[in-house]
Order: sequence, then C-alpha cells, then structure tokens
Amino acid sequence: MIVSVIAFSACNNSSNKSAETQSAKTDSGTTAQTKSAVPANTEATVSIKEIVTAYLQLKNAFTKDDTNDAAAAGSSLEAAFKTFDKTGLTANQKKTFEDVEDDAGEHAEHIGKSGGNIAHQREHFEMLSKDMYDLVKAFGAGQVLYKDFCPMYNNNKGAFWISETKEIKNPYLGKAMPTCGTMKEELK
Amino acid sequence: MSRIKKIGLSILVVFSAIQFMQPVRNKSVGLSATDISKVLNIPDSVQAILGNACFDCHSNNTNYPWYVNIQPMGWLMTKHIRQGKAALNFSEFGSYSARRRQSKLKSIADQISDGDMPLSSYIWMHKKAKLTNDEKGLIINWVQRSKDILSIKKLKE
Repeated sequence: MIVSVIAFSACNNSSNKSAETQSAKTDSGTTAQTKSAVPANTEATVSIKEIVTAYLQLKNAFTKDDTNDAAAAGSSLEAAFKTFDKTGLTANQKKTFEDVEDDAGEHAEHIGKSGGNIAHQREHFEMLSKDMYDLVKAFGAGQVLYKDFCPMYNNNKGAFWISETKEIKNPYLGKAMPTCGTMKEELK
Repeated sequence: MSRIKKIGLSILVVFSAIQFMQPVRNKSVGLSATDISKVLNIPDSVQAILGNACFDCHSNNTNYPWYVNIQPMGWLMTKHIRQGKAALNFSEFGSYSARRRQSKLKSIADQISDGDMPLSSYIWMHKKAKLTNDEKGLIINWVQRSKDILSIKKLKE
C-alpha cells in the first residue's frame, strides 16, 4: 500500500495534465476521475510530507551551523508532529506512528528550545534521524530520500541522517567537514 | 532611617509568612513497578553514583537537604525536581517505550560526558553530586552496556 501511495504521488504531477484534459472532455469522465480520486485522497492523509519537510529544514540548518534556524525548524517539526492527522491510520499504522512521535516529538521540542547550543541540538538530531528513518520506512516520504552516514561524528562512532539530495552535505560537522560522509541507502 | 526600618520590617514579615508555604515533598514508598532497576541491572557502584548525583531530581524519591525547609529554597528545589522528572524519571523508566529508553540512555551519556549534568548550579549546593572522571566513566560504560542489552532484547522479541 505504501508503494502505491508513493507511486500515486510520484505520477501525480505528470498525470495531472492528462487527467485535466480528460475530465474536460466529458462529464462522465469527470465523475470517473473524482471517484477514482477518493481512495487516493484518503491515503494521502497518511502523507508525512510536512514532518519530512520540517526535518529536512532542520538538517539543512545544521549543514550551515545555524543554531537559531535549527531551533526554529525544531519547533516547526514539533508542531508538524502535533498537528498530524491520525484519523486515516489503521490501528497498526497508528501504533507505529505514535511510537516514533513519542520520541521524535521530544527531540524536536528539545532542539527548538536549545538554540545557542548546537552541539546539544546535534546530539538530539542524531536520535531524531533514527526516528525519521523508521517513519519514512513505514509510511514513505512521497519523495526520494537518501540515508547518509558520517563516520567521524561523535569521536568516530558515526551517525546517519536523511537527505533529499544525492550530494553529501554533512549536518553533524557542518562547515568544518561539509562533504564528509557516504550515501548508504536510497529511500523511495 | 525609619524608612529603611520599615522596608526591613516588611521584608522580614514577607519572609516569615512564606515559611508557612511548604511545597509538597517528592517522596514515595518503596520502588515503583516501573523503576529502572526492574528493567536494567544496575551494579552497586553505579547505583551509588546515581543515588548521590541523579535521583534527587530524576526519580520519585528525593533526599532532601536541610535548607529546603527555608523558603524560597524549597520552592527552587521543587522546580528543579519538576523539570528534572519531566525530562527523565528513573522511577518511570520502565514505562518508556523501547525507542525512548534508548534515547534516554544516550542522553544520559551525552549529558554526563558534556559536563551538562549534574547541573553546575546544583553541584554548587550539593557537593556529593559532583562526579569524578572515574565516576563519569562508570556511568557512561554502564549506559553503553545497558543500551546494547536492551537492543538485543528487542531483537529477540
């Protein structure tokens, strides 16, 4: 089902045009379009896009060593978790989501409140990234994402993050080591 | 002069009055079912450090120093405890999800190695909470072991 959601949203842009022209042609065509769009819409409520967007914003603030932007993005991420509409979720999905939310929401809140202490914000970002990975794996992001790994962070213990670009931009070491890291997995 | 006396007197009155407003104590009888010791094995050496330096603000049982009987010191302590417990409560560790247990353990190690915990303002009043490097090492190693044990347990589930 997740695959179909991704497939649907991925094809959405390209198929929109033809759908419009099709529905413009006949009235019956329009009804058919609306009908087929209904299940797709209910599935679209499972979209974690806002959460993903806020996370990526946070990640990008860290690549620039910007603690205040990171704090702002942390707060938007916290809000995105809080406002997420769970009504469309199955019992299992809800359980998965809440398990992640319980932890990730706290990290996001903490990052939001820790402006000025980027080292501490990054400690929480590391845990948050694990949560986000599990969330994206479970629900799909609606866009291609990459799991990147930085082997040097945290005294060479290493840590990973999720990125929207193939190019490496390290959020843990920031401007000091912007290209440190490798792509480990493509998340479709 | 009489003005200074008046001010002095009113401060004394307010100070005496607030002594009657004693905050509720953070005390509970026995270990709770969700106590961390029911989930993780804690060696005595680690238990002693946690008891001296952490549990006062991060559990449901505070070992109160004498000066909390004097207000506003007791209120400040109450605030510390409320915030401490909200962030991490060892008495409720067992109620955290597997994911949160991992996060909390990692945060404990991070905070201690960064020197952010115990709070320097707290150490200033409670010398016993000051950790030596050896004690820090003990806690951090225990945290790492515990994290591994919990993740192995989870894999087996």
